[in-house]
Amino acid sequence: MKHYVYIQNPLEVAERKRKNLQSWILTAPAMIWLLLFFLIPYLIVIIYSFLTPDIYDIKFEFSLDAYRQVFSGAYLQPFLISFRMAFITTIACLILGYPVAYFIARAKEKTRNTLLVFIIIPFWTNLIIRIFSWRIFLAYNGVLNDILMNLHLIQQPLEIMRTDLAVALVMVYVYLPYMILPLYSVIEKIDFTLLNAAMDLGANEIKAFFKVTLPLSISGIFAGGILVFIPALGAYLITQLVGNQKSLYIGQVITYKIKNIPRNWPMASALSLVLLMIVTILLVASYLIFMHRRRRKVA
Amino acid sequence: MEEIRIEHLTKDFGGFTAVDDVSLVIKPGELYSFLGPSGCGKTTLLRMIAGFEIPREGRIIVGDQDITQLPPYQRQVNTIFQNYSLFPHMTLFDNVAFGLRIKKIAKAQIKEKVRDMLALVKMSDQADKYPDQISGGQKQRIAIARALINEPKVLLLDEPLAALDLKLRQHMLIELMNIHDAVGITFIYVTHDQSEAMSISDRMAVMSKGKIIQQGPPDDIYERPASIFSAFFIGETNLITGEVTGIEDEYVQISCPKGNGEFVEIDSTFHFTPNIGQKLTLSLRPEKIAISRYKPRQQDDFNTLKGVIEDILYLGTHTQYIVRVGELKFRVFSQHKRVYFDEKALDWEEPVWLFWHDTDTWLIDEVTEDATDDSGISPESAPYHRTSKRSMI
Repeated sequence: MKHYVYIQNPLEVAERKRKNLQSWILTAPAMIWLLLFFLIPYLIVIIYSFLTPDIYDIKFEFSLDAYRQVFSGAYLQPFLISFRMAFITTIACLILGYPVAYFIARAKEKTRNTLLVFIIIPFWTNLIIRIFSWRIFLAYNGVLNDILMNLHLIQQPLEIMRTDLAVALVMVYVYLPYMILPLYSVIEKIDFTLLNAAMDLGANEIKAFFKVTLPLSISGIFAGGILVFIPALGAYLITQLVGNQKSLYIGQVITYKIKNIPRNWPMASALSLVLLMIVTILLVASYLIFMHRRRRKVA
Repeated sequence: MEEIRIEHLTKDFGGFTAVDDVSLVIKPGELYSFLGPSGCGKTTLLRMIAGFEIPREGRIIVGDQDITQLPPYQRQVNTIFQNYSLFPHMTLFDNVAFGLRIKKIAKAQIKEKVRDMLALVKMSDQADKYPDQISGGQKQRIAIARALINEPKVLLLDEPLAALDLKLRQHMLIELMNIHDAVGITFIYVTHDQSEAMSISDRMAVMSKGKIIQQGPPDDIYERPASIFSAFFIGETNLITGEVTGIEDEYVQISCPKGNGEFVEIDSTFHFTPNIGQKLTLSLRPEKIAISRYKPRQQDDFNTLKGVIEDILYLGTHTQYIVRVGELKFRVFSQHKRVYFDEKALDWEEPVWLFWHDTDTWLIDEVTEDATDDSGISPESAPYHRTSKRSMI
């Protein structure tokens, strides 16, 4: 057993302290911003969730009513609907986005950048405008129905607007780039001679894909999945503008609790916090699963 | 075990002919090398055998099966890739087991075979590691195990030692030979390193510009080069242009201009019948020439030339002398053996005698105007070229 004695050099200590201070100063603006506009508002939401509702405002009386209602199952339906839609959107984005990301990653270097710009172009237009374009496109007398009618593929215009199908279509449209970009950045780094090696060892193209390419792009799938699933879960604009108003999504429910009179701030706050908790648990779980795989590799 | 026949194989990439009408036969169990400078088509040839490239013309036959059009995963051929291409997301065990798992072989059997294979390449205790946790030489071994476990008819090795440092390269070369002896299958080895090819091959093909220049056992190609390219690319040589002035029994006399209208006469044995007045090239290996400050005893079957030392390069195992004979320059290697040369070392600008046996002069039925060969390496640049080659073994 050897014992090492670490003798601190006073100059080194001073240097370390100076560097510490430096990093604090550099991160301070962002920290203050987050504190003011993220942490404090959240604290307010947490406090609100334990208060009593009033018609327009709140009464400062402690109450657990909001949570009691959330956990009684009264709001299970909107949660389930939201989860189902977020799940469908994520899977659809993965299935549609993977081939695109793969194609871009394997394109020539010059073409790659052009293709990436095409993926990013939709971000240049405001989300609400893009959703309204979809409304015009999907409407009963909209572009899609016009085309299908003129092609005599259908006799009656399709009722797509205000259905879950419309929500799914627009969700996939809006969130697809968030899947493609992280996937691309991971696939682009894969050494494609590994595919040659797999085929050399007897795997056909499909097996080589599932045994080599897919496992090596798993971190991109994780990142893309999180980037799509979480915003899709809380989506309000899309569900509100193209969705069916009979079965509400959780984002809509929360908004209505604040918008409609009598207002229920504690209920809205409690629902938001429960949603946040669920998302946090999911994130931590997927992070742990991912790190576990990594650790297994390093150990 | 089966023979590999390559018939009239041709492959082009957008107008550039990488492999040009190559035919050859590789005997069962042979360790055969494709040797040539980069861009000579050796890797393309290998990739066609592996199935990664489909030739425009020609056939590849293993045993009696034509595999030319088969995809890589249907060929009983496995490859060691230049950068090993181990799967980074799998343990070494899983890497080696890959081929067997694709074939859906029973788990217990896979375990046993992988264990045997890891033992063969001396990596048994590392099975649970990942490729990024092991060294280059170890990756090499795993790549070999991963290929051999599929019991291929042929193992293809694409510059397998290029990524290793010198000492390890020498070590792995010997190990590769041992593995070849142990498994007994055909190895096809691609390299640009002539000493690697010479030391490992049963036979080899010297390639240039998509064509095979010469093939045969290494010593055959070294001692009896069929062309200026193979004389020059393999090892070191002095190339001298001359004209046949006399033929007598098994000797031929060649007159080589040394500048100022003067000539040196060099005698040689011959392996083809030259005509009087024919121009040809002499290849004279530097290690076959003896150098001395004293005139050797006159002998009928010796060539003797008088020259002046222009340059001396001490290289440890031997010294290279550049000796001027008129305008001709001879490179001569001399080993430092006290039993031969118990005398003062030769010095710059010292007059010396060069002498060698007639049978060590080799005739090549070919003449080049300038001494630059196909590989773009001129004899003038050769000393630098050679240091890199010498560094191998």
